[in-house]
Amino acid sequence: MANISAAAASERRKPKFAGAMSGPLAALLIMIGIGALVSPQFLTEYNLTIMSRELAFIGIVAIAQGLLLLLGDIDVSIGAIAGLAGIVCAKLLVDFDFHPVIAILAGLGTGALAGAVNGLIITIFNLNSLVVTIGTLSVFSGLNLWITKGQTIVGLPEAVTFFGSGTWLSLPVPVWCMLAAFVLILALTTITVFGRKLYAVGNSKEAARIVGINEQRVRVTAYAIAGALAGLAGMLMCFRLFSAQASIGQSWLLPSIAAPVIGGIATTGGIGTIWGALIGAGIMVVIGNLIVLGGVNVYLQQVVTGLIVVVAVALDAMMRRMGKR
Amino acid sequence: MTLLKAEGITKRFPGVVALAKVNLTIQPGEVHCIVGENGAGKSTLVKILTGLYKPDEGTLTVEENAIAYVPQEINLFDHLSVAENIMMPLDGRGQVFFNRRQCERDALKFMSELQMESDPSALVKSISVAEKQLLQIARALANSAFKLLILDEPTASLTKREIEKLFGVLDALKAQGKSIIFITHRLDEVMRLHDQVTVLRNGEVVGHSKGQQIDEEWIVRQMTGKDIDLEALYRPTVPAGDVLLDVQGLTGARFSDVSFNVRAGEILGVAGLVGAGRSEIMQTVFGLLPRSGGQATYLGEPWTFGSPAKSIRKGVIYLSEERKTHGIFPHLSIRQNVAAGLLRTLSQGGFIRHGAERETSSRIVADYKVKTPSDQVRIVNLSGGNQQKVLIGRALEAAPRVLFLDEPTRGIDVNAKDEIYILMKRIAEEQRMAIVLISSELEELLKCCNRIITVYNGRLNGEIPEDRISKETVINAIIGADHSGGKNGNTTNQSVY
Repeated sequence: MANISAAAASERRKPKFAGAMSGPLAALLIMIGIGALVSPQFLTEYNLTIMSRELAFIGIVAIAQGLLLLLGDIDVSIGAIAGLAGIVCAKLLVDFDFHPVIAILAGLGTGALAGAVNGLIITIFNLNSLVVTIGTLSVFSGLNLWITKGQTIVGLPEAVTFFGSGTWLSLPVPVWCMLAAFVLILALTTITVFGRKLYAVGNSKEAARIVGINEQRVRVTAYAIAGALAGLAGMLMCFRLFSAQASIGQSWLLPSIAAPVIGGIATTGGIGTIWGALIGAGIMVVIGNLIVLGGVNVYLQQVVTGLIVVVAVALDAMMRRMGKR
Repeated sequence: MTLLKAEGITKRFPGVVALAKVNLTIQPGEVHCIVGENGAGKSTLVKILTGLYKPDEGTLTVEENAIAYVPQEINLFDHLSVAENIMMPLDGRGQVFFNRRQCERDALKFMSELQMESDPSALVKSISVAEKQLLQIARALANSAFKLLILDEPTASLTKREIEKLFGVLDALKAQGKSIIFITHRLDEVMRLHDQVTVLRNGEVVGHSKGQQIDEEWIVRQMTGKDIDLEALYRPTVPAGDVLLDVQGLTGARFSDVSFNVRAGEILGVAGLVGAGRSEIMQTVFGLLPRSGGQATYLGEPWTFGSPAKSIRKGVIYLSEERKTHGIFPHLSIRQNVAAGLLRTLSQGGFIRHGAERETSSRIVADYKVKTPSDQVRIVNLSGGNQQKVLIGRALEAAPRVLFLDEPTRGIDVNAKDEIYILMKRIAEEQRMAIVLISSELEELLKCCNRIITVYNGRLNGEIPEDRISKETVINAIIGADHSGGKNGNTTNQSVY
């Protein structure tokens, strides 16, 4: 009996990880190899810390977006939700002297609520997620400006700034937060009933309804979870900067989508794993880091990042097509 | 004067030989039927003939631009007019501005050749499936003076009358000296059309006939490699038991005042034209569509018409006719497809019981003889028949009392059909399940049902008991008896079998 289940277990893991993830993982390792070869600074402790911290933020939003991509949806307001949560949390701490735990919970709740609002609008009116979240992107960023009045909220208590800039067991604390979020969401998508429902809805919402899955509830829940994760990233960023401002999270949209897609999560839904979001985020961070180390003109860095992302996605699609033939 | 000659065509994909040493010759003015079960290599062969794939071995001799290909899936611009669709890419005349009248005049020429009835300025989304099928051929006509037309299962969603019309068009093309490759797995179509027949099985040509006397039995034997009795009956023979579901005066958006019942251990057929409201009635009972009136009793208690989830829990299951879009979860494995429908029993405290999941899915694969190397294969890679076996197996796992099967054998080959009929009979007889079989295939209803109800234009217009089931009684009811002489198709979007 033990033998059988062990064999079956290895059979199960194979196609899931080794099969689907070997491409992106190889790409990540090759890039790290290239980095080590071309730049003596690449593997220094200082640079690795910088990269790991970057990975913390991009990783969390990539996991959040990955969850929605698995549904076949996309949330372009995810950065604005991050900002909103960070600002609400900072405002409660600084202006209203809330206890840090309550303020952080309020920040997570704000993110979840904002995500749930997106999900509710999309399911109730049966609208396209891209269209709805372009609208709410403007709403949430507007709220961010209104709450901060365009000013920076400063003076966050030390109790919370530790979560942004402290280290624990020689890793930055945000990295631990990201890893916790990753394990949690990986488990959610692979071993829970909710995860199965998520994949089912992403594959075919009609088929899901016919087998008795409440497609709307699954969708709204996924949006709320993604919103809470974005909120976590936004708050960590505020804690890292010792302040909150309306621009928090604005640059996260591109990596949040690019990372899971590079990691093999299809934008059409139902294909890929949360591993893909993490590995894709790793690739994005290494690319960004190499561009800086390589001395690319500051004003051209965005151009180069964008080009590399497009090329990576195109290469992946090409290889897939060749595999099929 | 040979139009196309393929010799020793071999094509391998990783792990499988899709085609092995296939020979094919086409003469001008003949219809060549290619038949075979799903996965026999028909589509691969077409893709090689049309140049989409390169063969690994063998030679293909064919004139350039001689082939026009109409794929199985309808591929049209829904929001452009019929004429624009035909004349695409619209650049024949080298003019800069688009002249709509000119375009429609040009299109009309091809449309009349194919006896199309649509208005050239109508939007494609508003025309019938049959007209769309003809439109695809018209487009081929407009684009090239082809000599060989390849049609890949063009009749899959057409009614009998529409099929006859299509065949008339094919006869006319043939008379002009054009050749046709016709891919199908419907035997009567082969008998009606063929000059040559090539039967494929597992990538090999296992039967070929030109001018010989062949019959349907011969084709089936070649296709499946075994004898299948085409006349066999699959009706449950154990007498039916109590009424399990009794529907009274049910009314919904596209049907009204529908009453019927179904008993334990019987197969109740639901006949009617496509669009008559058959599926909608059963989907409403299942809780997928809203109800505007009527009641039902299930196992002696009032039925609530709640949601699919509630119906399934109470033992009423519906399998959609749209297997690809409303049935399977294409990119999930067989195992995950099984689990998605049985989450309640395969989980504990919100977590999947992986052992139970694995055990259930391998049992379904074994019990229903699903042909697959493992239950970890993505379900989309299985043939239609095997997908259907997984879906039926999953439904039965929930031990339903009433099972609605909506076109369960659409697009499924003879062999798998036979297996599904045998399975239906067995579960009706042994588990005393009530099966409601919605079907557009007359033969299927005649062979499998203990009783048939007929739907015409959103109303029940007949109930045929077992001793009166015949082709004539069913057809007369389906077409609404006295309406049958009149012109139909325009107002109700229905047409005759």
